[in-house]
Amino acid sequence: MLARIAHELYWLGRNLARAEFTARAVDGVFRSELQTPSDSGPGLTLGWHGLLMMLGGTPGDEALGRGHALARLTLDADRPDSMLASVERAREGARAVRDVISAEMWEAINTTTLTLRGDGTARWSAPAGPYLASQYVKQRTALIWGIADRAMLRDEAKSFLDAGSFIEVADMMLRLLRIALPTAEQDPRRDGNALALLQAVGGFHAYLRAVTAPPNAQPVARFLIFERAYPDSVAACVDSLHDAFAAADASPRDSQPVLRVSRLAADLDFQRRMLPAGTELVDICERAQHELVAVDQDVADRYFAGMAAGERGIAMVV
Amino acid sequence: MSDTTAPPIDSYNPRAPFLDELFETDGRPREVARALISELERIGAEGLTEVGRRRDATFLRQGITFETSGEDGPTRERPFPLDLVPRVIGGDEWRTLKRGLAQRIRALNAFVDDIYHAREIVREGIVPWRLVVSSPNFARAVHGIRPPGGVYTHVAGCDLVRHSNGSWKVIEDNVRTPSGISYVLENRAAMTQLVPQLFANYRVRPVDHYPQLLLRALRSVAPSADSEATVVVWTPGSLNSAYFEHAFLARQMGVELVEASDLVVRDDVLYMRTTRGLERVHAVYRRLDDDFVDPLEFRPDSLLGVPGLVRAYRAGSVAIANAFGTGVADNKAVYHFVPEMIRFYLGEEPILENVKTYLLADEEVREHVLSRIDQLVVKPTDESGGKGVTIGPHATERELEQVAAAVRAKPEAWIAQEVVRLSTVPTVGPDGLLAPRHVDLRPFAVFGERIDIVPGGLTRVALQEGSMIVNSSRGGGSKDTWVLEDGDDADRAGPPLADVSSPPALPEMRYGDAWTNQQQQQQQEPQ
Amino acid sequence: MHFSIRYLTEYRYGSPVSDNLNALRVRPATTSSQRCDEFHTRIDPEARVTRHLDYFGTEVLEFGIPTGHDHLTIDVRARVVTSAPPEPPHGPWSALTSDAYVEAAGEFLLPWQDQPPIAGIEELEASIRTAADPLAALRLLVELVPDTFEYRRGATYVGSTVSDLLAAGAGVCQDFVHLSLVLLRRHGIAARYVSGYLWAAPEDEGSDSLEVDTHAWLEALLPGVDGRGEPVWVGVDPTNRRFAGETHVKIGHGRFYADIPPVKGVYRGGSTSTLGANVQMSRLDPQAGARA
Repeated sequence: MLARIAHELYWLGRNLARAEFTARAVDGVFRSELQTPSDSGPGLTLGWHGLLMMLGGTPGDEALGRGHALARLTLDADRPDSMLASVERAREGARAVRDVISAEMWEAINTTTLTLRGDGTARWSAPAGPYLASQYVKQRTALIWGIADRAMLRDEAKSFLDAGSFIEVADMMLRLLRIALPTAEQDPRRDGNALALLQAVGGFHAYLRAVTAPPNAQPVARFLIFERAYPDSVAACVDSLHDAFAAADASPRDSQPVLRVSRLAADLDFQRRMLPAGTELVDICERAQHELVAVDQDVADRYFAGMAAGERGIAMVV
Repeated sequence: MSDTTAPPIDSYNPRAPFLDELFETDGRPREVARALISELERIGAEGLTEVGRRRDATFLRQGITFETSGEDGPTRERPFPLDLVPRVIGGDEWRTLKRGLAQRIRALNAFVDDIYHAREIVREGIVPWRLVVSSPNFARAVHGIRPPGGVYTHVAGCDLVRHSNGSWKVIEDNVRTPSGISYVLENRAAMTQLVPQLFANYRVRPVDHYPQLLLRALRSVAPSADSEATVVVWTPGSLNSAYFEHAFLARQMGVELVEASDLVVRDDVLYMRTTRGLERVHAVYRRLDDDFVDPLEFRPDSLLGVPGLVRAYRAGSVAIANAFGTGVADNKAVYHFVPEMIRFYLGEEPILENVKTYLLADEEVREHVLSRIDQLVVKPTDESGGKGVTIGPHATERELEQVAAAVRAKPEAWIAQEVVRLSTVPTVGPDGLLAPRHVDLRPFAVFGERIDIVPGGLTRVALQEGSMIVNSSRGGGSKDTWVLEDGDDADRAGPPLADVSSPPALPEMRYGDAWTNQQQQQQQEPQ
Repeated sequence: MHFSIRYLTEYRYGSPVSDNLNALRVRPATTSSQRCDEFHTRIDPEARVTRHLDYFGTEVLEFGIPTGHDHLTIDVRARVVTSAPPEPPHGPWSALTSDAYVEAAGEFLLPWQDQPPIAGIEELEASIRTAADPLAALRLLVELVPDTFEYRRGATYVGSTVSDLLAAGAGVCQDFVHLSLVLLRRHGIAARYVSGYLWAAPEDEGSDSLEVDTHAWLEALLPGVDGRGEPVWVGVDPTNRRFAGETHVKIGHGRFYADIPPVKGVYRGGSTSTLGANVQMSRLDPQAGARA
């Protein structure tokens, strides 16, 4: 398929996954905040501040109230890190590849965007609006992925779409963990917000069924990084990413992205069984995240005719 | 609001002296339209309004929209305005139109070939050389290149109007990148879903084989040894106002929709960049003007396009539809000479007439035109889409002065035409009532091994009362155009499609490849 | 006169570039007063060169280098023999409207870059009108243009217009020719842009090798003697205040520069290039001495 289309599909997957992840995170933090005081001190830190950091925004100096943070994370069209902005980007991408992803999926994405914009309606007005919007995005992205899985051919196009979503979820999860995990000097016992972390990624029930340990920071983080049975865990995403590239690649044996992802999967598996001495989970997250950045570049070089940052100049000589 | 339940027809009042295609001047439906009109009455004004709402919602959701541009402020996405009353053309009438169009397109194609080679029509003194060389669409870069099969105008759309005496006239030839065919197909699909009952008493000839006709024509001119030539549709990008149509055609033909950045020329061969490297392209249906196809040729200040494409074209390794340089034939001053071209190249009398046109380079003609400019239509020679057109009877004093000054400054850039009284067809108003509105017709022809014309075409309708501006960018709408089957039509079943490849599919559906890869991957697992 | 010409162009790129496509219009034409005996090109990195004649009859050499490279050398060598053109004919102004003249003039009469009309050259236009006949107009023109404008490199660039020349008050041969074309066409004298090489040795110096640049002059169509006979294209060099002669080696002509650029190319990659281009001309018949 055309390199440009593959590139669009990959980023469509990333943008949809980012919107979904943001929606879940907003939902999780919103709910946990209703129950515990936000000044619960050190330990596992996850609040509005953390979410803004996760998405790459700088929270700024002003004391961020819930309302303010919610608005920025969800429906602020001017901020590239908002949920709405991710959905808008997804729509732009979907428009370019609508013939590949099926009319039904395009319509689902288009309708989601139009509804989320809420032009001229009071549907998302404060105070509960942003929360309702994130609920809506959770439902709609589930629908969109459902259509993709049922209606799209399992071909190269689907592989690139999926690859985008896997790398995005892995990346988001790693970002979230790097912010939320307690550092060495903090009191590891005070990690009551581990529950919030599970809620924020929508993994609470899965955790309870898979792990017997109480939901404290260490076991929760290990679960979110290493548990292959949990589809949004870093390890599971990396495995799926490998499968997606291997399926799309004409010659996976000598494919740089396939090899790099495969190495990363092996590393994670090793670290799950035995954490090297002196290594914190946070370090593992950081290293994995760097690897994913490298994968992005490999993918651009191998499949997208170098279309990474969109810089392909043509110069003229006269 | 009591009258919204009234039958939508009662108040219908054909506007003499204009010809109404469905009603007699006394307000009775014409014979061919009786069944249609009574179905419309059964639906009622309220029903029509309701169907209209469903239509808009569906079009918006599916993204069948266009963006209005220009004078009325910022651009906006609007549902494409399809009127619910179809236009009806009899089988006999259509056969004449079809013959006339094919004749005209053959002559235009011969003209393009002649202009870039022997220039016999110039030597014979029929078309002035100066007119040709002063056209910005005369492409010196393709001088002497003859494309495969000698076909230049693979896709053509001539604009026709119906005069008050019932005769059809050609008002404009579009042989660069005429658009609108996607609306013909979408309109028909929408009509069969929205108002299936209207079709009950008619046998309407289908239109949906157009993409296969186009694909076959493109394959027939593609320089490829095997029959499965790789064809692509080239769009300027998703911001183009006709992007919907580009995507539509690519999807319907089952080929890739490419942009300039997808294409690259190596050693005079055109390739597209795929996830698996370069793949050769044999034929390009391009939907952008010559100026933006190759920065090494054409416009020296542009970096858009695919460098080297003209080289590949010159080397004969790729077919381009329409061929580079065809724009020289849809210059509006050249239009004036089309009847002469038909006589010169084909030795036939033109079947379809031109509208009376004045070339303004001649001083005597120019002064005559300027003296009655308020009764004429003045058009720039090298624009399309109704841009820059001044309709004398509808223009203000000031507008007339401005256009007169422009004509004097550069006479060869303008033509003047007699005003044509466009026919009317009943059209649903916002209140659900029918009112006469002016229409034109753009049939679409495909020229490969032969010329095929899809029955009907795009009927454009001016939605404002009395207006004759039918361009969709300026408030025009469209109608489904029915060509009726009448027993003895030789090709009523449409052209034979036996040699056409499989039905349309998503681009790059490589079922086989995907399975192979998975197997390879499984072999790799145990280490 | 007998010349050997070497036209060497070298580009160096800051980082590797690819898909470097170029078109060259560098081969001396063969005309009634000029013959190209030998012609060679060498491209480094190596590339296949294809040739064709363009619309105006100029030979175009095309090549492309698809894979990454950090330099490009275009080395062109030619041997040419030139002879003095015949004396230009005298014909009256009135002959410019004859059918024979208009037909021979073709598109070179159209006001290509003069639309809308360029402002600020009315005086020059009027002075030329004072000439007794078209030939006298050409004689006037070759003095008038260099008298009015200074020849200065860097005052304009390759894409400059006549208006840029007027604004700067200075320019190079390309600009002088563009202005002259506009002035002549305004008087109904057909005129075309000529690209070529000029043997620019001072008259009293018998050197037999010179470093020069590609040069531009023009050809104007003069009506035949007394308005009868075939109209004749006459070379005129407004930069050097003279008519073109044996010292002018023509490559080809067009409506304006953009129809006949010596080297035109496009490559992929954002890096800046440095260009070195020079033309080395040698007299192969030095015994004749250099003359204008």
